[in-house]
Amino acid sequence: MKRKIENLLKKKIIILDGATGTELQKKGLPAGVCPEIWCLENPAVIKEVHASYRKAGAQIVYSCTFGANSFKLAQYGSAEKTYQINRDLVCLARQSVGKKVLVAGDIGSTGQFVEPFGNLDFDEAVTVYKQQVQGLIDGGCDLIVIETMIDIQEARAALLAVKETADIFTIVSMTYEKDGRTLNGTDPVSALVTLQSLGADAVGCNCSTGPEKMLEFIAAMKPYATVPLVAKPNAGMPRLENGKTVFDMGAEEFASFAGKMAAAGANMLGGCCGTTPAHIRELAQSPALGKPLAPVRKAIGALSSSRGHLIFGEERPLVIVGERINPTGKKALQQELAEGKTAIIRRMAGEQEQQGASLLDVNVGQPGIDEVKTIKSIIGLLATISALPLVVDSSKIETIEAALRIYPGRLLINSISGEKEKIKRLLPLAAKYGAMFILLPLTDGEIPATAAGRQAVIKQIYAAATACGFSKDDFIVDCLVMAVASDAGAARETLKTLRWCTETFRSKTNLGLSNVSFGMPGRPWLNAAFLAMAQLSGLTMAIANPASTELINVKQAGDVLMAKEKSTANFIAHFSAPADSPAAPVLRADISPAEKVAIAIREGDRENIIALIEAALAASEQASSLVDNVMIPAIVRVGELYEKKIYFLPQLMAAAEAMKKALAFLEPRLAQSAQANKGKILIATVRGDIHDIGKNIVALLLRNYGFTVIDMGKDVAAPAILEAIKREKPAVVALSALMTTTMVNMKEVIDAARAAGIETPVMLGGAVVTEAYASSIGGYYARDGVEAVKVALQLING
Amino acid sequence: MGSVFFLERIPVNPPYPKIYARLGFKKKTTELTSRQKEETDISVAEALSYIALRGVWRRESIVENDGSKTEMTGDLSFVSSQLAKYLRDCQETVLLGATAGNMIMDKIKEKTAQGNLSAAVVYDATASEMTDAALDWLIDYLAVQLRRENKKLLPRRFSAGYGDFELSNQKMICEKLQMDKIEVSITPSFILLPEKSVTAIAGICR
Repeated sequence: MKRKIENLLKKKIIILDGATGTELQKKGLPAGVCPEIWCLENPAVIKEVHASYRKAGAQIVYSCTFGANSFKLAQYGSAEKTYQINRDLVCLARQSVGKKVLVAGDIGSTGQFVEPFGNLDFDEAVTVYKQQVQGLIDGGCDLIVIETMIDIQEARAALLAVKETADIFTIVSMTYEKDGRTLNGTDPVSALVTLQSLGADAVGCNCSTGPEKMLEFIAAMKPYATVPLVAKPNAGMPRLENGKTVFDMGAEEFASFAGKMAAAGANMLGGCCGTTPAHIRELAQSPALGKPLAPVRKAIGALSSSRGHLIFGEERPLVIVGERINPTGKKALQQELAEGKTAIIRRMAGEQEQQGASLLDVNVGQPGIDEVKTIKSIIGLLATISALPLVVDSSKIETIEAALRIYPGRLLINSISGEKEKIKRLLPLAAKYGAMFILLPLTDGEIPATAAGRQAVIKQIYAAATACGFSKDDFIVDCLVMAVASDAGAARETLKTLRWCTETFRSKTNLGLSNVSFGMPGRPWLNAAFLAMAQLSGLTMAIANPASTELINVKQAGDVLMAKEKSTANFIAHFSAPADSPAAPVLRADISPAEKVAIAIREGDRENIIALIEAALAASEQASSLVDNVMIPAIVRVGELYEKKIYFLPQLMAAAEAMKKALAFLEPRLAQSAQANKGKILIATVRGDIHDIGKNIVALLLRNYGFTVIDMGKDVAAPAILEAIKREKPAVVALSALMTTTMVNMKEVIDAARAAGIETPVMLGGAVVTEAYASSIGGYYARDGVEAVKVALQLING
Repeated sequence: MGSVFFLERIPVNPPYPKIYARLGFKKKTTELTSRQKEETDISVAEALSYIALRGVWRRESIVENDGSKTEMTGDLSFVSSQLAKYLRDCQETVLLGATAGNMIMDKIKEKTAQGNLSAAVVYDATASEMTDAALDWLIDYLAVQLRRENKKLLPRRFSAGYGDFELSNQKMICEKLQMDKIEVSITPSFILLPEKSVTAIAGICR
């Protein structure tokens, strides 16, 4: 049957059915019931729907089993009937349409999120889908369709469930929003790369949008598709009318997109929500359908994550694989991995992406660690925080297998060598999961020293890979970089191998670049020079540290000189300062040392403030004069700029920190200064409230203006505040609260203080506090930190 | 009704304009040097690396809504005329929760203790906006799922602490959502811990 469908697809565009749910509703399906069980109880209705689509010209109808997985059926107390329900509904579809029309066993979402996005174990998801798949197959379906998926990982689980159950033609169809991504953030090309490599026989999209928008998704996928494409749009964009979802597009208008869909590359066409047999009839009869466009390629060198993809090609710029997520020689990362923490890895992933890496290499190998458990955890984490596809780097087959199963994209395996065990076990695994791999030309116990030796091993591994169904698109040859410190001819042999791969063998290539300079001084320059030579020899990819400026600059320059795609624009962007924000002003020589201090405070220049103060003092500025006449006016100016919104909060804080640093430096010289103490302020966040960032901002600003601040912290009870007031005798008490429920505790403090005969003024602030509330409980309101300084000055000075 | 659904990692794109706006940035008014912009962007990127968005939701049927009190399946009962008004046309509700996790809160404390408040405020704003965005994502996700059931999710959501829907209700919501499983607890004064955590109720109509 699989072959029959494949042959049919070569000859014509296959017409699929239209919506089932909305048709059933029209025929009496009540709200709130399980559609699948209702159909079994009312078989004539679902048979009528199927038959109407057959009559309309559909060549494939979907069984009414969209929600017939055990998770969904459990909501209706029927999880244990999963198998029978699926089997019987396929039987009903077959009875309705006969043998000339194909029946697709329909699979939808479980409604759960699968790890790493949710807490449903990936293998449990596969098991749940296998129950459904078995029922569909035993019911006699001709093919399987996995549809309306928004989670690529759930789509993978369903697809693997099919592939591990039977060799049956399988369509996987995702649902994209108007922005061209699923709600989980997957774009059509990334989904295509992931699903076709995992074994989907056709990939496409359904639901959510009308045909016009779906055209864009089909057109985006076609250049990279190795399988037929499927489009099943809604009858236009859904619109709410009197609280009901309405689809406006009529049958004729819907079918008018048939020609454009065919031209964009759709090989199977049908309808989703809001479409009817009339829509399918118009579609099937459309003279514009024409001949189907076959997939443009048989294989593709491409990798994907759940939110991004990388297509390899001769014209594409050199790919940098960020190498830093590797615990070798990194004690902090080793400790983090051992403790199951992730902060360093999160940071490394973000930094490498920002520095220009297109892929992230992940190696978690270290003594005493459960590598399988760790790789699952780290792969899961990176899959959700980074859009970059991953490269799994391990010498252990079990580690790679765990990563292949869990990763919601097409992974690159680093690496498969000519070692017997690797060939025997890793190649079939890579084939099952559709991964790409780095071909490492070494054999058991031998690293060929010459290019000729490496070529022989490359050919040997390629032969084995071909037997597993791989083509040259599916791997990247590592040309083996050895240290020139130990073998002066090492780099030359690597480059020879690289040129042979590029010009003769015609494969993609990779270098573990920094090995070349091991044991040598000036490593960045050796690495960069080697990279330039390799780029000229046709290098596709380098595993390197993207933080190396020399390396990245040479890569950018090499891409331009080799006329790679978009390389000039990338080069200009790389070497240009951001144009949309003003550069920091250059301090002119004619500016006085004191004015430089003022500018540093206004600019929040914490790095240079001490040096500038030293220069000002050396130029005969008095410390007290510097504070009173330069720094205080500068910080007051910052407050004004903040109030006018010319500065925002981080600028206010940076200036305050520069000021704080400057005051701390000058403190020993400030005994005589009038600014030394403007008064004592006791500050706290009141009982029950754990929010303190606002309070901390106010405390910092008050200190900068010369107040002595006693910070009691957060969640402070009234008796403790009262005791502190008696002990410290502050000039002002400042209280903060963020919540309406906790701001009432400010009153508790004020009432207790007044009852104890304490008349110290109380300043109040926080997100929910208003001027009216503050005065109603006998306090003084300050909107923010800048205003708190003014209020404090007024309260103390009158 | 009543099953709790957990989402271990919510795939939210950072809402940069909202983060900047929360920090007081005003387009065409606020003036940033390239160094200040870079510093802020680095702090946002650092904050993002410490945020682990997790979410949870459960659906309940409305049993009774008398205009001042709303009773739901799962032994849920909320006294609030504003909530009752919001839910007046609904047959169901969905309770939602999201958190940015503990790591970001630890880092905010760490930066504050180091005297680096300029980074701490950026971390704080980033965590707040990401948590809100996570709840928005859950709403969007549920809206799409409900559309296939021919149901509609009300566009806005209702949180304890607003209007006459008292913050104390957050305790029941938190318990029903089993938020302890995403490492969220609640203080005696009904504040969620870690601080960057939120709950909400949204109405579902046919």
